[in-house]
Amino acid sequence: MTREIEIKNSIFKIAFVILLGIAVGLALVILRVSNAVSYLSDDPVACVNCHIMTPQYATWFHSSHREWATCNDCHVPHNNIVRKYWFKANDGFRHASIFTLRLDPQVIQIKDDGKTVVQENCIRCHINQVNYVSSSYVTGRNFKQGKGNLCWDCHRNVPHGTVHSQASTPYARAPRLGPIIPDWMNINKNINK
Amino acid sequence: MNEKTSSRKKIFYILLFIATVVVVFILGLLAASIFERRGESIARLEPIKEIAEWEPRNEIWGENYPRQYESYRKTLDTGFRSKYAGSATIDYLEDYPDLVVLWAGYLFSRDFKQGRGHAYAIRDLRQTLRTGGVEFSPQPGTCWSCKSTDVPRLIQSMGAEAFYKSKWSDLGDQVVNPIGCQDCHDPKTMDLRITRPALIEALERQGKKISSITHQEMRSLVCAQCHVEYYFKGPDKYLTFPWDKGFSADSMESYYNEIGFKDWEHKLSKAPMLKAQHPDFELYMTGIHAKRGVSCADCHMPYKIEGGVKYTDHHIQSPLNNIANSCQVCHRQSETQLLKDVYERQDRVAEIRKIAEYSLRKAHLEAELAWKNGATEDEMKPILELLRSAQWRWDWVAAANSVGFHSPVEALRVLGTAIERSEKARGLLNVVFTKRGVSLPVSLPDVGTKLIAQKYIGLDLEKILQDKLNFLQKVVPEWDKKAKSRQGTLQEY
Repeated sequence: MTREIEIKNSIFKIAFVILLGIAVGLALVILRVSNAVSYLSDDPVACVNCHIMTPQYATWFHSSHREWATCNDCHVPHNNIVRKYWFKANDGFRHASIFTLRLDPQVIQIKDDGKTVVQENCIRCHINQVNYVSSSYVTGRNFKQGKGNLCWDCHRNVPHGTVHSQASTPYARAPRLGPIIPDWMNINKNINK
Repeated sequence: MNEKTSSRKKIFYILLFIATVVVVFILGLLAASIFERRGESIARLEPIKEIAEWEPRNEIWGENYPRQYESYRKTLDTGFRSKYAGSATIDYLEDYPDLVVLWAGYLFSRDFKQGRGHAYAIRDLRQTLRTGGVEFSPQPGTCWSCKSTDVPRLIQSMGAEAFYKSKWSDLGDQVVNPIGCQDCHDPKTMDLRITRPALIEALERQGKKISSITHQEMRSLVCAQCHVEYYFKGPDKYLTFPWDKGFSADSMESYYNEIGFKDWEHKLSKAPMLKAQHPDFELYMTGIHAKRGVSCADCHMPYKIEGGVKYTDHHIQSPLNNIANSCQVCHRQSETQLLKDVYERQDRVAEIRKIAEYSLRKAHLEAELAWKNGATEDEMKPILELLRSAQWRWDWVAAANSVGFHSPVEALRVLGTAIERSEKARGLLNVVFTKRGVSLPVSLPDVGTKLIAQKYIGLDLEKILQDKLNFLQKVVPEWDKKAKSRQGTLQEY
């Protein structure tokens, strides 16, 4: 009698462990396929994982900002680390959902929260080039309340150019994701050589 | 149970867990590999069926270019109304009854509607009262020029002169496929190409080399094959663009004056009139978008990305129905703001246009009254010349699509000169009335609705409509039958 219960118990345990293994395994596959770990970095290459923002990448890559600022330098907050990753997680979740559901618009527009962050970051770096008094008025928060302008209301093509559309840089050479399967699994690799 | 077995069991579970994770992970990678390879096969297998040199059937082209063709088919949609226009049929004579008087003696006074999308070109032309019916069929072959992909084919085989010279109704079974692929594309390379001789001839007369035209210019010029001012030259009705002196309303007018051309004599005022067609391209050429190098296609057929493939949206339509993908590619303002900006300009043009229309209607009716009161040819001549000029200028803006938006400032300037000339004519008419003792202000007939106005200018609409109905019921099905047996298939658009 006790032996029977023991066998039953261990079958459940084995099944549970296998299911858990499947779940974790699948999660790892998704992490790899979506190159998710790269999103924790500040590398701009991560921002074109899904190719939707290739024009943004390409225009930045040909701008003077490339020398000093990554995507994240402008597009995520930098005043504290909690806000930074909270903002990244929010944006990332929205981008991932829109990409997966194929809801991406032809012309991508920056959201109000994004505007606030970019405006903060303009001033964060350029504080020595702008006047303290006047720049205190140029803030995302002021703009939201209908007061004042944003930096790029005048500096219109910094750094992404004047033409905005997913189709605006069709021949851009942007980094592409490598193959999902690792090299050792690629049987054709030797044949191709 | 002793400790040894339980710790062994623990290790077993941990190993089982790790093994499952590894197996699932590798299986997942294999699945990913399969998906990748599937993508390769899709990318490789794009069969191209050869398209014959003058193939007029859009659906045949569509087999190779499904994205372009499917979006082209959306020109069948009539659901969009903007403030002044859109893709739905609008009876302009109903909305602006003054037009009936302005075009008295000309076929436009019978019927003038906002055309629907390109795919309706054949149907709309067959239906309009301007192409007549069975008994009365006034148009030459030239009238088909802009309506069909069959036109390049026919011009190729008959020659342009013979095509223009023929009767409109004689070509009915030959011209059946609506405006489409063949009109703008080379079937071998898909490069844009000009298929209508009138545009090539006009550009050559201007001294422009066709071979030096850039791709971006072509993205407007293929539209300028049709969306331009033109006239039928001489008894052979040779399609000609009056561009020798330039694109502006003034230079075209002086071109027409120099060759002594008139479209018709006005039935009421007897003025030698000009009818502006749709100088969309010319009006646009004077505007800021053209100056900044924006082509027609940039707004009316913006680029699109679908699954990583870039193509041109062939749903040719009002950008107001697609602000996010057209205007906002360059303009950062919100859709509502941009729409407001467009309407602000159109409202102003519409307001001034209305004033010009009112003035012209009065002027024609007053001129008619002056003739009735015994005005002489000598007295009337300067008045009629002013009327001709005024109405040409009004029409140059009114007939163009976009309610002046293609170039608001130029549109308002030209309308301003129209009002000036029309009011000058009315001033001279008042002198004629005063001389003949007609008391001022003169009383004029009521022409407040389309029906009343058409009756006043002597149109027997019932007869015209009956003739049209006969034509649509008896002649058109015959045309389609012949066309189908000639082509093999006939797609209904």
